[in-house]
Amino acid sequence: MSQTITIDPVTRLEGHGKITIQLNSQGEVEDAHFHVTQFRGFEKFSEGRPFYEMPSLMARICGICPVSHLIASAKACEAIMSVRIPHTAAQLRRMLNLAQMVQSHALSFFHLSSPDLLLGMESDPVKRNIFGVAEARPDLGLAGIGLRRFGQHIIELLGNKRIHPGWVVPGGVTEPLSQAKRDEILAMIPEAYTNLKAGLTAYKQIASTFKPEIEVFANFPSNYLGLINEDESIEFTDGLLRLIDPKGNIIEDGISASRFSEVIGEAVENYTYTKFVYYKPLGYPEGSYRVGPLPRLNIVKSMGTPQADKELVEFKQISLGPVESSFHYHHARLVEALYGIEKIEQILTDPLILDKHVRATAGVNRLEGAGQIEAPRGTLFHNYKVDENGKITWANLVVATGHNNNAMNRGVLQSAKAYVKHGKFTAGALNRVEAVIRTFDPCLSCSTHAFGQMPLVLSLVNADGELVDQLVR
Amino acid sequence: MMHTHPGCLILACGNTLRGDDGVGPWLAQWAEDHFPASPNLRILSRQQWTPELAEEITHADSVLFIDCSVDSAPGAIEFVPVHPAAGPQTVATHHSGAAELLALSRDLYHSVPHTALQLTIGAGSTEIGEGFSAQVKAALPQACQLIEETISRLLPAPE
Repeated sequence: MSQTITIDPVTRLEGHGKITIQLNSQGEVEDAHFHVTQFRGFEKFSEGRPFYEMPSLMARICGICPVSHLIASAKACEAIMSVRIPHTAAQLRRMLNLAQMVQSHALSFFHLSSPDLLLGMESDPVKRNIFGVAEARPDLGLAGIGLRRFGQHIIELLGNKRIHPGWVVPGGVTEPLSQAKRDEILAMIPEAYTNLKAGLTAYKQIASTFKPEIEVFANFPSNYLGLINEDESIEFTDGLLRLIDPKGNIIEDGISASRFSEVIGEAVENYTYTKFVYYKPLGYPEGSYRVGPLPRLNIVKSMGTPQADKELVEFKQISLGPVESSFHYHHARLVEALYGIEKIEQILTDPLILDKHVRATAGVNRLEGAGQIEAPRGTLFHNYKVDENGKITWANLVVATGHNNNAMNRGVLQSAKAYVKHGKFTAGALNRVEAVIRTFDPCLSCSTHAFGQMPLVLSLVNADGELVDQLVR
Repeated sequence: MMHTHPGCLILACGNTLRGDDGVGPWLAQWAEDHFPASPNLRILSRQQWTPELAEEITHADSVLFIDCSVDSAPGAIEFVPVHPAAGPQTVATHHSGAAELLALSRDLYHSVPHTALQLTIGAGSTEIGEGFSAQVKAALPQACQLIEETISRLLPAPE
């Protein structure tokens, strides 16, 4: 008699999801799935809107990474307009995108994952939260808050709002940077370094104690995708996509947004609303790959900033080829956040950063446009079609969680096989299965304002649908 | 970033695109319109209360949280003191409540405002839309009056 274990909802994620673990008649794990149980529909209800409204509409998809959608959408609109935005506007957007990356990575590491990392996977769930972190390592609690504040305050200074800023528009940005704002951001940089390094140092001290988790947290060969510059350094806002194979060989390079749909496909499974994204020439599921911090560090040769470059050298020593275990997403996230701070500092010293020319204008010059950027969680792609009047007739978004969907499901199965034995589970074991998903930091949706506490319910159900056992916390 | 040390901090929460959930930001805007700008009064309106707000709270002498409530009857106003209270899984990204933020201020910064109050209005509808339900609309005058009295009481007397 087969049985099913359900973790519903999975906690400390952006959005709502659940995990089911299918047991065979011997009580061993046979299959496992990560389900995204909410449906949004932004692609459909944007039809009929003027294209220039799309950035502000699309930013509403997410309360954590609205900047990613804002910029990807603006780039798709600029492809429709056939314009190249001014240098200063591009630099300001790059800074905005990096500020969001820093605050999002801080949220993921310090607020969502550090309870597991600092207090232990088996620690009391009542204390395995930010209060527990505040008690055990108040310095890291403060560092996390400080780093979030750094990123959010930059977003607020540039966009005049910390969530859903409307400053990025098709053609550039609405307002140049003032000297006062530049000086204010520069003044925050030293504290940001201190806070980031506190997290990085703490992570390095404890990472070696998680060897069993590293072994089974989505630890398998895969392909990796991400944006890269011509000099093979990391890129978040411009650049072209590179796909590498499990050994680090380039499968395809220089994928522009206009070619994205030609090489990237989306498959559907009946147990989740999230699509499964794959590289078309290899087919589905063989063409599946991972995106986000770990793949970005796997595909690049350098970070392009001095301190992050030193950290990249150390990171790449984890493995001879691409780093495989998704546990190392945590490490990669901190290296990227360090890069973000350095790059913001560099951008602010650009002699043209206070230039007043920050917006190009044009109407509809093409009936289709696409934009791609690196969101904190991975590659984000927006593709729109318009009529001659500029009204949206079709839209498609490919988000990071879709790219990682196959790897997340494989990771859940791998960890479930390691931790669920003979149909029995413990709270610590199930926390590890959830923690695999948290390494990817998926953003299922965060634009809705949720009420109340999100419970965790795990049910063991037999093949006849009868509840055999249940764990609630 | 400069830290301010307001006598009174107003902290509102809600999504203005989800019906009655937007009552917190609406009341925060009302307070901003009715009290002259002053370093003694800081008004923040957020779609979500997130952990970093603990830092803002710790610097204030008093704090007034404003939110809608799905546990109260539609339009019902509750105006109560709040005490620091940590709970499991309660501070993450979307779920920080007033008591949890106070607890975080206490645990991380070792200081909480001497007065912490929370005003909530029971939600009638949180469906997508910018208007308020009839029950919440009817409650707004009393809520505004309570906010006015509270701010006047909490603000330090002018020298």
